[in-house]
Amino acid sequence: MRAALAIARKEVTVHLTTPMAWVVLMVAAFFSALFFTAGLDAYRFLSLRAMQFQNPGLLEHLNVTERVISPLFGSMGVLLIIVAPFLSMRLFAEEKRARTFELLLTAPVRPWEIVLGKYLASMAVLLLTVALVALFPLLLSFYAGGAQGGAGVEWQTVATGLLGLLLLGAMAMAVGMVVSALTESVIVSALVSLILLLVLWMATAFTVGVEGPVRELTSALSASEHLSAFLSGRVDLKDVVYYLSFVALGLYLADRAVEGQRWV
Amino acid sequence: MIEVENLTKRYRDLVAVDGLTFKVEKGEVVGFLGPNGAGKSTTMRILTGFLPATAGTARVAGFDVFEDPLEVKRRIGYLPENPPVYPDLTPREYLRFCAGLKRLPRKGVAAEIDRVAELARLEGTMDRVIGSLSKGYRQRVGLAQALLGDPEVLILDEPTVGLDPLQIREVRELVKSLAGRHTVVLSTHILPEVAMTCQKVLVVNRGRLVDYDTLQGLIQKHLPGRQVTLEDIAFLEEIYSKLVEGPPAAAAALADLAVGHG
Repeated sequence: MRAALAIARKEVTVHLTTPMAWVVLMVAAFFSALFFTAGLDAYRFLSLRAMQFQNPGLLEHLNVTERVISPLFGSMGVLLIIVAPFLSMRLFAEEKRARTFELLLTAPVRPWEIVLGKYLASMAVLLLTVALVALFPLLLSFYAGGAQGGAGVEWQTVATGLLGLLLLGAMAMAVGMVVSALTESVIVSALVSLILLLVLWMATAFTVGVEGPVRELTSALSASEHLSAFLSGRVDLKDVVYYLSFVALGLYLADRAVEGQRWV
Repeated sequence: MIEVENLTKRYRDLVAVDGLTFKVEKGEVVGFLGPNGAGKSTTMRILTGFLPATAGTARVAGFDVFEDPLEVKRRIGYLPENPPVYPDLTPREYLRFCAGLKRLPRKGVAAEIDRVAELARLEGTMDRVIGSLSKGYRQRVGLAQALLGDPEVLILDEPTVGLDPLQIREVRELVKSLAGRHTVVLSTHILPEVAMTCQKVLVVNRGRLVDYDTLQGLIQKHLPGRQVTLEDIAFLEEIYSKLVEGPPAAAAALADLAVGHG
């Protein structure tokens, strides 16, 4: 475990001293701000219209968490899928290219310690990215009021949404790590994991207009379908299991890929 | 300390190491000599558990490198051909990372880093990122990494590449000072290095062991009746060319040596 922590610490140091993690954080901050202000504008417009039409029923149904925060989190899901490969691409590919893999493989560490250390480090950067997104509901809570004068932001829904984003990110990092363990090129690693993740994200797009088991299969495989329950404030076991099985499978396959180096 | 038996490594149709058998006793400093592509680095990579052998066995301190890799790795300090350093870290951060990998007791890590930094003469560069250091300093950072934790066995793949003449002398002194307490296997292209630092010489050519003896033994065997002292290293060139002559690659490597030496 000590070796895994040493590896995690080194990875975090490298992440924070090279531009890539900062670029990812900047992109995340920029787009979440963009989606947030756009969502807020749309919400304001809608509530003005509701007031104009003297429709108190509609006004009461307007929910700022549902109308602003959940769509923001949904967009951040896509963004996570897109940026995660750039955080995970270096993990193993760079070590192989720079011949530093030889140091790791000749040190008295087991393959799973290497894998775990690297995964923990990417999760730390992911946590930072999601924390950035979490700032927006916090910001909103200072200004938004509920319909009956209560709190405007439903923290429970925000919490499940953030949990969903974290799980989605954990899955994306696991997929990216496996791909990185299989190649020596960081570019190949980033592109291949990006394609894999996009396919998983949009799995239902392949079965538009199809009914029956095929449709059900793609929707069960789709990373975005499994996020939707989290965004509306529910934690379903099947969604948690979906993301965590990708994490478990990813860690296992990466461990095998590292162990496989000893057999070539 | 190191026992290699019938070690063979094949890459598809290329035989890199072919039935190598030798033994290194505790405390010996052995020079690994051979032309480029003779299988020196491959043998070292097998000994350190980085590559598996196709056939044969290798044992370090009684542990099989394939069956008990962790026990072997715990006892080996290894400097690969290319120093395995991270350009974005400083030598201090890098050595701390390596200390974590080797699971050195947390308490003594700072003192141990200072010790190896002094041995490898890294003073003044410890807090600059490795990417901005010269090739010679990177090599020294790699060497410091190998010395970290005072391992019983040191495997150094061309430890003096990229160093200037003064630094080379320092590294030689360092290797000499390790003899006795540590078992050292070092590969090199520079013949004087072998004469000055090693007690025994292991000559390989095209994956096969050509000769393995002490320097005196080699002199008696290959240059009978010649009076040579160890300061005069020309004799070693003669022996070397006798042993590995043949393929043009070896001749070219030899020409390099003559230039490097002259």
